Amino acid sequence: MGNFFRGIIRASSFFRKEIFEILRQPRLVATLVLGPFLILFIFGIGYRAQSRTLRTLFVVQPSSPIAAQDVQEYGKSTGSLLIYAGVTGNQNEALDQLQRGQVDLVIVEPGDATSTIKNNQQAVFTLYHHEIDPVQVSYINYLGWLYADVVNQQVLRSFAVQGQKDAVNLHTSLQEAHQNVSAMRQAMQSGDETLAQQKQQGLASNVDAVSQAVGVSLGLLDSLQQTKGTNGGNANPVKSTLTDLRQNTNQLSDSTGTKDERLVRLDKIDKDITDLDGKLAEFQSIDPSIIVSPFRNETKSIANVQPSISDFFAPAVLALLLQHLAVTFAALSIVRERDVGTMELFRVSPLSAAEALFGKYISYMVFGGVVAAILSILLVFALHVPMLGNWWNFTLVIAAVLFTSLGIGFAISIVSQTDSQAVQYSMIILLASVFFSGFIMSLDMLWEPVRVISWLLPTTYGTLLLRDIALRGIDPNWALLGGLIAIGLVLMLISWRLMRRLIASSQ
Amino acid sequence: MALASPSEPSQLQPVQVKDSVISAQHLTKKFGDETAVQDVSFDVPRASIFGFIGPSGSGKTTTVRLLTGVYTPTDGQVLVFDRSPAKFSQGERARLGYMPQLFVLYPNLTVWENLNFAASLYGMGLFRGKRLKKALTFVELYEHRSKLARNISGGMLRRLSLAATLVHDPQLLFLDEPTAGIDPVLRRKFWDHFRELKNQGRTIFITTQYVSEADNCDLVGVQNNGKLLLVDTPRGIRHHAYGGDMVDFRTTQPFDFQAEAMLRSLSFVRAKTVRTGSNSMRIIVDQASTATPELMGWAQQQNIQVQAVEEYMPSFEDVFVELVRREVSHG
Repeated sequence: MGNFFRGIIRASSFFRKEIFEILRQPRLVATLVLGPFLILFIFGIGYRAQSRTLRTLFVVQPSSPIAAQDVQEYGKSTGSLLIYAGVTGNQNEALDQLQRGQVDLVIVEPGDATSTIKNNQQAVFTLYHHEIDPVQVSYINYLGWLYADVVNQQVLRSFAVQGQKDAVNLHTSLQEAHQNVSAMRQAMQSGDETLAQQKQQGLASNVDAVSQAVGVSLGLLDSLQQTKGTNGGNANPVKSTLTDLRQNTNQLSDSTGTKDERLVRLDKIDKDITDLDGKLAEFQSIDPSIIVSPFRNETKSIANVQPSISDFFAPAVLALLLQHLAVTFAALSIVRERDVGTMELFRVSPLSAAEALFGKYISYMVFGGVVAAILSILLVFALHVPMLGNWWNFTLVIAAVLFTSLGIGFAISIVSQTDSQAVQYSMIILLASVFFSGFIMSLDMLWEPVRVISWLLPTTYGTLLLRDIALRGIDPNWALLGGLIAIGLVLMLISWRLMRRLIASSQ
Repeated sequence: MALASPSEPSQLQPVQVKDSVISAQHLTKKFGDETAVQDVSFDVPRASIFGFIGPSGSGKTTTVRLLTGVYTPTDGQVLVFDRSPAKFSQGERARLGYMPQLFVLYPNLTVWENLNFAASLYGMGLFRGKRLKKALTFVELYEHRSKLARNISGGMLRRLSLAATLVHDPQLLFLDEPTAGIDPVLRRKFWDHFRELKNQGRTIFITTQYVSEADNCDLVGVQNNGKLLLVDTPRGIRHHAYGGDMVDFRTTQPFDFQAEAMLRSLSFVRAKTVRTGSNSMRIIVDQASTATPELMGWAQQQNIQVQAVEEYMPSFEDVFVELVRREVSHG
């Protein structure tokens, strides 16, 4: 029998031994398979994709220009984010309630907003909270921004409503101007210069009135068109029309022009008045809410499915579990051989480090593969997690995650002196994976040098690759997969060198 | 090859070994400041049983580990099959069988699975079932083959370890206290098997705390406090311990002082004689076989009625105690 075949037999001894030892612990196997499945299942049914609702007490100073009624309305405008818990004029009492946990948020309205704004400064809403969770603090900051935006919109809306009311008077002025233009044209054609002068003065008066009123009403429309970029390259079309209108009106009084020139100018004036009137009608027809908040957003994904939150986490859970399983099993494997004393037997026997490692790699790969298969089937067919991609690619990524994780585990096991040391190292790897692998937060949120840690963890690769395959239905990023396997090969080489030293060398 | 005892070189007659499988020369092993084995030299001839006896902590296990290559000597040299164990190839390692002092197999595997693991470790072929069965039957564990190792007794674990050591039919066996915790009947069976293996040409290096087992060995090394006191045949060990063979001399009449003084003055009688009764004495002589007829002749000359003259074989416990006592008295 050849040495190669004997080597295979020696390696197989570990394969059988490890598998038998694992199967002698059915509760462990059941926990490994059912644990993550149940966690995802409960998370899936328990997770509510709703923002937190905060019981909010408002503090309105007696000097505030904002009425208590308005405050309630503002609170309702934020949707279900705030629960209106009342208005009080006593800030200390409100903060006491916050301290006692009777409310979640206290919003103090600015007392002297009018004078602050007149002084060219923004008035400030102060939000008091009792949170220590940075995520919740960010949420409250966002809520404060949202609340100020709601109030600002309400203020702008009232301006728009006022502008639309003023536009009625503007329309009257434009009608009068139109009538003066017609009367002036008739007077000029009939040679009644005196009447024409009279009508020209009336027209000038009308144009002045329009110029003053348009700042409030048509100015808003002008800004809207400017924002939309629908004004044909003219930055301020209403203002430009008004300027033309005033110039032409003033030049009508210039007696040096010929009659025909004045009639042409009169036609231009008439056209500008009609134009302005048309814009005015357009402005009046627009809902004030649209004028102050003309844009909203809609998001549409080009992905094939829009996964639920538990679907999204399923590949990450699978990757993390497999990494932890492989790291822990491998980490305990060799350190236990040392504890039991078998290492002494191995040193005397013809067993080589490569054979021992090969046998252990294969056994844990097979075991991890079986766990992954059962878990994947449960996720896809019981929890209905989408599986849009290729199962072979999925299997390849699982195998790569297991292979590299085993490398980490074996390296830990060889350098550990005791069981508890190996477990501690494994737990550190798990903790690092939770924070740095993109499991709970995107890698983009990490400082770039810190991402080096992320790219040393198999879970990082597993999460990204399995999500691509299962949820996007695309092929894995081969460069990433290659990187993962390369790390695994380096770790295997290190483990082999360490194991060789452990088995082959004497003390 | 000459053997030397570092403690009493002048008193030893070296044992000549021509075809040695193991050769240890001035082996010393230190762990920090503590010396576990000090300047130990011996040779183990092929197809022999070499017993290594000594009390607990005398350095027996350390010596075995030095011979198997588990430990590297701090000083000195060891050759097994004319090669340093640290440089053994896989093929050479496959010729060894090693039974450590403690059970080092897997408690969560059955008796059969553990033995199967050990057989695989030595690259035994896939059709090894018969060998496994034979090994388990020999150690009387075949009926218990389906039991988990954690559920069997300490003695059964020792037997399983022995089966795991023998299963691949090694040429050289290192057995570290194989009979510890084994009942006397099975212990006798083990020794019968060891002798059978020896007759088949196998070499066995065996340590034991049961000094009485030294009688089963071809050569015995006596170790105490890390030092090898003596290496010799069991008979030679006894001879060395008391400075000669022991003969019980019994007469029909009580011995008088004059007769005792005359007896002591005989040329083949060593100075030390012990009265074991009013008409009996234990005499230390150069050689029991030649001293017995000479004693009979002397008694006839002196008109002393002899009831019996027979060689006395002290137990190895007594021999061991005597050797240690002498070691202590020699400092």
